Amino acid sequence: MAVSASPDQSNVGRSMKVTVERAALLKSLGHVHRVVERRNTIPILSNVLLRAEAGELRLKATDLDLEVTETQAADVERTGATTVPAHVLYDIVRKLADGAQVSLETIGETGQMQIRSGRSRFNLQTLPQEDFPDIAAGELPHSFSLPAQDLKKLIDKTQFAISTEETRYYLNGIYFHTIDSDGRQVLRAVATDGHRLARVETAAPQGAGGMPGVIVPRKAVAEIQKLLDGADADVTVELSPAKIRLTVGSVVLTSKLIDGTFPDYQRVIPAGNDKTLVVERDMFAQAVDRVSTISSERGRAVKLALADGKLTLSVTNPDSGSATEEIEVDYEASPLDVGFNARYLLDITGQLDGDTALFKLADPGSPTLIQDREGAPALYVLMPMRV
Amino acid sequence: MAPSPVRRLDPVLVDRIAAGEVIERPAAAVKELVENAIDAGAGAIEVVIEAGGRRLIRVTDDGRGMTPQDLELAVERHATSKLPDGDLFAIGTLGFRGEALPSIGAVARLSIVTRTADAAQAAAILVDGGAKGPVRPAAGARGTRVEIADLFGATPARLKFLKSDRAEALAVADIVRRLALAHPAIRFTLAGDTISTIDLPAEGSDEAAALRRAARIVGADFVDDALPIDVMREGVRVHGFAGLPTAHRGSASHVHWMVNGRPVRDKLLSGAVRGAYADVLPADRHPILVMSVDCDPREVDVNVHPAKSEVRFRDPGLVRGLVVSALRAAIAAAGHRATAQGGRDALQTLAGRQPQSFVQRTFVGWQAPVDTGGTAASGDAHGSPLPGFAEAQTPFRSQDEQISSAFLPAADARAHADDAPALDAPLGAARAQIHANYIVAQTRDGLVIVDQHAAHERIVYERLKAERAARGIARQILLIPEVVDLDPADADRLLAAAGLLEAAGLVVEGFGPGAVAVREVPAALAGGDIKGLLRDALDALLDERDAPVEARLDRVLSSIACHGSIRSGRRLKPEEMNALLRQMEITPSAGQCNHGRPTYVELKLSDIEKLFGRR
Repeated sequence: MAVSASPDQSNVGRSMKVTVERAALLKSLGHVHRVVERRNTIPILSNVLLRAEAGELRLKATDLDLEVTETQAADVERTGATTVPAHVLYDIVRKLADGAQVSLETIGETGQMQIRSGRSRFNLQTLPQEDFPDIAAGELPHSFSLPAQDLKKLIDKTQFAISTEETRYYLNGIYFHTIDSDGRQVLRAVATDGHRLARVETAAPQGAGGMPGVIVPRKAVAEIQKLLDGADADVTVELSPAKIRLTVGSVVLTSKLIDGTFPDYQRVIPAGNDKTLVVERDMFAQAVDRVSTISSERGRAVKLALADGKLTLSVTNPDSGSATEEIEVDYEASPLDVGFNARYLLDITGQLDGDTALFKLADPGSPTLIQDREGAPALYVLMPMRV
Repeated sequence: MAPSPVRRLDPVLVDRIAAGEVIERPAAAVKELVENAIDAGAGAIEVVIEAGGRRLIRVTDDGRGMTPQDLELAVERHATSKLPDGDLFAIGTLGFRGEALPSIGAVARLSIVTRTADAAQAAAILVDGGAKGPVRPAAGARGTRVEIADLFGATPARLKFLKSDRAEALAVADIVRRLALAHPAIRFTLAGDTISTIDLPAEGSDEAAALRRAARIVGADFVDDALPIDVMREGVRVHGFAGLPTAHRGSASHVHWMVNGRPVRDKLLSGAVRGAYADVLPADRHPILVMSVDCDPREVDVNVHPAKSEVRFRDPGLVRGLVVSALRAAIAAAGHRATAQGGRDALQTLAGRQPQSFVQRTFVGWQAPVDTGGTAASGDAHGSPLPGFAEAQTPFRSQDEQISSAFLPAADARAHADDAPALDAPLGAARAQIHANYIVAQTRDGLVIVDQHAAHERIVYERLKAERAARGIARQILLIPEVVDLDPADADRLLAAAGLLEAAGLVVEGFGPGAVAVREVPAALAGGDIKGLLRDALDALLDERDAPVEARLDRVLSSIACHGSIRSGRRLKPEEMNALLRQMEITPSAGQCNHGRPTYVELKLSDIEKLFGRR
């Protein structure tokens, strides 16, 4: 067969040779490979895209809803791009010697990529990089930045309330939006599963005003949470009604948003609850945990009997017995008996920061407000149980 | 084109149109004729078909017969002897429409020979494709003989829609069997060229006769597995035989209902059966059941369906309640009774293997008869002609080694003098646990093998259900009520049943036309698919099944029970085994686990003796 082009020309865009530091590569792969599902019907979604150009190696992985890209410095000998199985590459790099240099090189004629480090040599099957999907394209008109820890707090304190039930898909994420609260602009995160609701806010960053309300899906929320772990710089957020992009240092995460309308959560936040209860948070949580030991089944209910200055927690399980615990509280309204799911109470008290927790109740069939204190940035609403 | 003028249809054409409704296939014609014979007070009915009924259907009875005058009128439309008072609300006979004979006459060649007891001779008439011939004198025995030849010969289009001769003949057989079930006092015979002959002797008219007839139709095992039922409330009597839950079938074709002697396939009744057995049958399995509802003809409307296979009760709630409660009571009373089938199967397997075991013993020693570990699977291998000695020996050698470990009882509770009271209990005294899953117990007159996991699962499940009933259902109130869009009629149906649903922990209220807002759900189902729950509830309401929400809660309990019960592989002490047996005896439906598998099999001493040729 006649060779019509010189080897250099035929390899343009495909031949790649790059050398990187093992630790840096592992960290980048650690960020991107989590996005890749273990089982895929589309083979290329199992792969990570590697692109070497201008002194940088860029890694990209996607599941078609979520895409993570990380860029790192690299010694690029020949520019090019290819895709290889993400989990395999991650496992290989993880097992290489610490501090080693890793060279990645595509071998034009076999369609494989060779990984060399020390005396180890691996050849991985590749898939053409042209086929790698790109979901990040498109205009993201809204943009602002805020401290990483502020965003992390919004997510950490609401994530537990995200619904896992698929039929109400619009509850399967955190709803971010800006709103005018007491005369100042705030950025709010809200999540609910239909039984409880978490609402956390922070001062709206410059440029966030006018952003559309968006629902960030659970998987993206979990990934963002991990990226923000330990980050201290500012995070850039870019938004369109359909997509969100976060830039945290060298990592760029792009996710599709849940296409749905988040319910009008303001309506379920009670304003007229006049029975206030102040408890010591740890003591209360421990007491709930203790008495609920006695109930075994799912949806376990704990009864709160409130009377002047006293809270009695009780659980009865005809199968195993009963438990009560009395704690001193700050309560002056008329006596009230109300039941709650013990797990929900523990979830919420676990999110509170202060030494005390403030409950605002109305009656055994109406939503209850739980906060650190009056006007705290985080607010929780919990629906009682009927027992 | 000018519009065609409106004109009255030719009477023959009218009959053919009507025939399409009443006589849709040969089986329908047989049904009409056999019903006529039953209404005529026949003591024996003989049916003969050829080519699946297409070529010939002949029904001969020894009933009252007709006078020549009646005969002439009988083949006219809407002429019948069966509504003497003209009261459509008190129908005591199977037929009443007066449509069958003229309809058949319109689409086939119909000939009738009939003689009353006191007539000197028989009378005959021929109707061919709607053209009525004169009544002629003829020779004939007392009773009536109806012959239909060339069915649908006058309506060739219908012929094209018939299935194969064999399929049509089976449909005829099915109809005859169902009618026979309802009338055990009448002798039925069916013969045809494509089916084997059915001959059901007259059995009499008491319940024992009904059971004998039922056994001939649904299978001889039914005699052992049938629970007699006979209850009466407000003039409605429900009686018959319900099969044990462990004797289940893959289709509902063995659920037979009769209403005032008329076989029916009624949604209300089959729904009631499903409801009553819901808890004790595996999904998609059906019981065997032969039951009748008898009531004042005024209480039931049979004039609902041309083929009369559906009925309408004046008080459906009463009938349904009566059926469900009677069935539930019978199943509960049967308690831990498992089908005798298990024991029979075991016996058959053992008995079938005996001759080979004997041969093997000549060269493998005593181990062969103990080879029950792989009985079913290895049966064929043993059944094959004996191979050479060397070949035969190898498999048994290895089994020999297994025996020492696998067949060692996991627990040993050999007979003590003081376990006499336990021996008298239905499930006896535990003797050993084998394969760390099966408890072997001895009773006064036999041997019981219990699957410990299945048995304990049922016990835990029943306890959880009793607990729930005692405590009521905890409800989680929803912060954001879930609005579910439904068909407006469905929404109304749900809202009408709101009280019932609330008792089960599901609180719904109207939310505009065609929408329902769910405000509270059972705490155990919180976080699940509410829409699905609502749809399930709706389906159950449509089918008139009981307690739709409870059914879901039961499923949750059932899975809890499965995880909360002792596993196979757990070694039990003798005391634990005996305690399990005693619990089984007092637990409802302990004869089958939540998935409908039997929890134990019993071998009677007499059966064991039979195995050893002592009887």
